[in-house]
Amino acid sequence: MDCTVLIVDDHPSFRASARVLLESEGFHVIGEAVDGMSAVEEASRLKPQLVLLDVQLPDIDGFDVAARITGHPDSPAVILVSSRDSSDFGPLVSRSGARGFVPKAELSGERVQELLL
Amino acid sequence: MTRPTRAPAALALAGLALGALGAVVVASSSHVDRPWLTLAIGLFIGEAWIGAGLYAWSRRPSNHVGLLMTWTGFAWLVNLLVAANGELVFTLAVIASNLYLGAFVHLLMAYPDGRIRRPLWRRLVQATYALCLLGPLPLLLSGFEVACDTCPQSAIQVTSDETLGRIGDVAASSAALVLAAWVIWVLAARWRAASVPQRRTLGPLLWSGVALIALVAATIGAQTISGPQIPGVLPLAGQLVFASVPFTFLAGLLRSRVARADAVNELLVRLGEAPGTDGLRGRLADALGDPTLKLLYWVDEGWVRKDGRPAELPVGAAWTPVELDGQRVGAIVHDRSLRAEPEVLNSVAAAAGLAMRSERLEAALRRSRARIVEAGLQERRRLERNLHDGAQQRLVALSLQLRIAQNQIGKAPDKAVELVASAQEELTRALEELRELARGIHPAVLSDRGLQAAVEALAVRSPLPVKIEEVPEERLPEPVEAAAYFVIAEALTNVAKYADASEATVAVKRVNGHAQVEIRDDGVGGADPCRGSGLRGLADRVGALDGSLALDSPPGSGTTLRAEIPV
Repeated sequence: MDCTVLIVDDHPSFRASARVLLESEGFHVIGEAVDGMSAVEEASRLKPQLVLLDVQLPDIDGFDVAARITGHPDSPAVILVSSRDSSDFGPLVSRSGARGFVPKAELSGERVQELLL
Repeated sequence: MTRPTRAPAALALAGLALGALGAVVVASSSHVDRPWLTLAIGLFIGEAWIGAGLYAWSRRPSNHVGLLMTWTGFAWLVNLLVAANGELVFTLAVIASNLYLGAFVHLLMAYPDGRIRRPLWRRLVQATYALCLLGPLPLLLSGFEVACDTCPQSAIQVTSDETLGRIGDVAASSAALVLAAWVIWVLAARWRAASVPQRRTLGPLLWSGVALIALVAATIGAQTISGPQIPGVLPLAGQLVFASVPFTFLAGLLRSRVARADAVNELLVRLGEAPGTDGLRGRLADALGDPTLKLLYWVDEGWVRKDGRPAELPVGAAWTPVELDGQRVGAIVHDRSLRAEPEVLNSVAAAAGLAMRSERLEAALRRSRARIVEAGLQERRRLERNLHDGAQQRLVALSLQLRIAQNQIGKAPDKAVELVASAQEELTRALEELRELARGIHPAVLSDRGLQAAVEALAVRSPLPVKIEEVPEERLPEPVEAAAYFVIAEALTNVAKYADASEATVAVKRVNGHAQVEIRDDGVGGADPCRGSGLRGLADRVGALDGSLALDSPPGSGTTLRAEIPV
């Protein structure tokens, strides 16, 4: 079965590009969210296997969202993305409960698969 | 005569009349042992209270403390009528004979601002008045000999059963003891809760109150235990304390006036000396005897502290504005109790005006510096945000599009070509955004080609026609050019946004060693100089070069922004 994905980002251009890219590489995008609170709701409603989560969101940031939606046996895997580099965030990524971090410009199915293994 | 002077005069006459009536009654009494001594003591105490009260009232007509003291004096004088030979007057006088204690407790609870501030205290005052009036009734109703063997009969006797009278009297005395304890407890609690300046005001009256109430309680206690043969020393001590209150009060008023006048004089002398560690604040705190005193300065239509940080007038504290030549300079924030002496506050505020003005300038400078730093930080945040939301997002999208195109080259070459073309457009837009941003940080044309070229470029980019009257061709010092450029850029942005103008005119002239920058428009005017942070940021920028910025924007007649920057 294709890996189901929820994309969370407040920039529509990124959501659209990421959807095309991931779907062309065999992922199944089942939903999108534009801010932290709706991301938490959509994650519990859609139960995706993967949440592609932008760090900088208009309400609560991606680290908080990751902390809220992970930690349970049936929690989705979370991969944080940002147009910034992971070195900008220090240990925040590893503390958040996310599987890992991919800079937006380097996003590819391959990078995501590596982190999911 | 105006009302405030007529009323005290009338009350003074009434006090004298009541005293004269008491004198006649005592002099003709058949049951007073030493009429002249009784009369002398009674009149002295009563008139002292009335006199002190009227003096206090005339000084502070809005404060009811003076009236309450006068009322206490009247209530005391009514005591003299107990000497009456007639049964009815005697009986009424006995009923009213303790009213002065109720008035005194009323005064204690309302002191120093003349208002009873808590419902509990109000109930306490009501209970005291009630007990003062009801207390003598058991004895009067039972005909029990009230004050002496030779006194007239009670006019309201309904029974001759003395036991009932005694039981009622013990009940009233017990209630009085409970009330006395309650009053002392409340007074002690007020003392504990009072600030240093409040204690100075409260002290004398509050402690006389505690002493008098304690003596009254002791008298009642002794009476209840040993019967009507009261130990003579307790009531005498009570009378002495009661008699001393108006004098303590007057002495306190005078002392504080003299002490504060000295303090203000000393303040005037010390203001001329070099500032100490605690500076002006410490001196004013000393002069007003309020260690919690704070100073705030009026800068740009808001309050700031001496270090230039914005501040609020504290809720609950009192403050006195400090003005110089009719302009607000700052405020002295002080303990509420100091409001009882407005003359002192006003003279301290007047004395502090000049010194506060120079501290205000320091505070304003610090405020402006802090704003420049804040504006710098804000600008960096804005730049980061713009880069992140603009060019960076476009480059991210571009990267993703190229990756998708790469995936598609083998599978769907047409789709890949389309994606590369769209990526090309994305790249063009990203470059344009980067250029715009770089210009906002510092326009290259300004540093390379000078103010004239930069202003011409601004005029071309402006959405409305801009006429350039005059800009010096020669180069000015770099900070001056930059300040002038940003004044013009911000002004043109504001004109386009708010002025509803058909044209703007820009002129930069060199006048008397200054660069005079002027931007005029023919729009709606009425611009608010406090609107947004843009103008204030410009004023800080120009101010940092010792220049000045002025906005002239009458409603309906266009807007002129003028900056003068020393070259």
